[in-house]
Amino acid sequence: MNAALEVEWLKLRRSRTVAVATVVLVLGIPALVAGFMRAAVASPQSQLGVKVHAMVSGTGWAAYLGLAEQICAVALFLGVGIVVAWCFGREFTDHTLVSLYALPVSRGTVAAAKAAVVTAWAAVVSLAVLAVLLLAGPAAGVGLPDGDAARAAPKAFAVALLTAVLALTLALPASLGRGYLPAIGGLLLVVLLTQILVTLGIGAWVPYAAPALWSQTTLPVDVGPVQLALIPVTAVAVLWATLRWWQTVEVT
Amino acid sequence: MTSDPGGPVAAEPGLVAVGLSRAFGDEVAVQDVDLEVGPGQVHALVGLNGAGKTTLMRLLLGMLRPDSGTARILGRTLTDHDPSLWRGVGHMIEMPFNYPELTARENVRVSARLHGMSRQDAGPAVEAVVDRLAFRRWADRRTATLSLGNRQRVGLACAMVHRPRLLVLDEPTNALDPSGVVLVRDLLTELAEQEGTAVLVSSHHLDEVARVAHRISVLHRGRVVGTLDPDGIDLERQFFRLVHGVDERLGLIGADGGGAS
Repeated sequence: MNAALEVEWLKLRRSRTVAVATVVLVLGIPALVAGFMRAAVASPQSQLGVKVHAMVSGTGWAAYLGLAEQICAVALFLGVGIVVAWCFGREFTDHTLVSLYALPVSRGTVAAAKAAVVTAWAAVVSLAVLAVLLLAGPAAGVGLPDGDAARAAPKAFAVALLTAVLALTLALPASLGRGYLPAIGGLLLVVLLTQILVTLGIGAWVPYAAPALWSQTTLPVDVGPVQLALIPVTAVAVLWATLRWWQTVEVT
Repeated sequence: MTSDPGGPVAAEPGLVAVGLSRAFGDEVAVQDVDLEVGPGQVHALVGLNGAGKTTLMRLLLGMLRPDSGTARILGRTLTDHDPSLWRGVGHMIEMPFNYPELTARENVRVSARLHGMSRQDAGPAVEAVVDRLAFRRWADRRTATLSLGNRQRVGLACAMVHRPRLLVLDEPTNALDPSGVVLVRDLLTELAEQEGTAVLVSSHHLDEVARVAHRISVLHRGRVVGTLDPDGIDLERQFFRLVHGVDERLGLIGADGGGAS
């Protein structure tokens, strides 16, 4: 496993896709949140201000990080999903899969190493997003971090991490479809189906909707520990299926 | 080639295939193939495009599962499901080992690590094979920026950096310049003679394989239809006689070599 982790980490570090995703997520999410918050604080009657107010509850840091949770629940799914699509799908698109046969490191181990390094990267990105959000507080008009920030930050990190874990499930369409594009298609399908199921009122039981609904304190939707626990359970089940597929797949 | 270290070998064969078959739907790609490559032997597979050379190599390396038949690699069957079996095997099938975002040196190091070499052993082994395949000048360039021939050299380095006991190469001289072709030829001879590596190599180029191979098997329509003597004369004529003989028996061409009416 050590060799596979070392190799996958090197490939991740050298990837332009991952570098771009890192910059966009770490700087883009805080910029978006701070911009929205600034608009809401500076001109609450403006069109944007009214919309932002509808999305947040409370004031100050609680509102700011609550808004960040909602944006993270979407942006991180897209950003981490694209990295997952690249990480798994590239072996097929770049025709490098054939090099992963006839090795003492099994393909299942290689796939597990991919999941591990993407998870580690996503955790670091989530922490970095949170750090930049805290640094950007004054610019957003909520002042320096205070007790509210300390209380809200763990939940914001949890939403980010749960979202990233869910994005790992896109490894399955990338593998079954043998490329990046099926995973991107899977990502769009998940977003669409999730929206429909949320509209039908069963969103709390849909793992892909749970982080976003958990973060929305303005909605009358109760997302409890059981619904939240379904998120890692779903991710582990789908990853297990992905690893099994990698172990047994033939070249084409 | 004059002496064949293969034949009835005393040591464990690098590779033995018995009755290997594989079809894709109605299309039979490999049918009832027996093959053996002994230690220190270079065994060449020659055939027309679509003859089944690559499919056969994929079956031997576990990339495809056979419909019937068995393969033994370094004395162990592929169904053992023991990945450590592959420590002693190197291969380059169709695409050379190349991650375009990595440098040539990094690609070879990645291959060494995935083939079970320790970090300490991988370093010197990578430098040795970089020198042997003569690409130190551009070893730190990303392979995305290299020519096809140079990527092929990197792929060959990846296949042999861990000093395999069995090497399986599918058309290894594709895209190489003449100096690269000579280099590969010398390298295969050296590996077989000095390290006892069993080498299975496919090629379209009869003259080329005749210079390096101890045995030449002709694959046609998924079957081994005969052998060629590497020291024989006019291999091309012998090759087409074998191939056309099969097609005539199948009624695919007339005895004059023309198409069936």
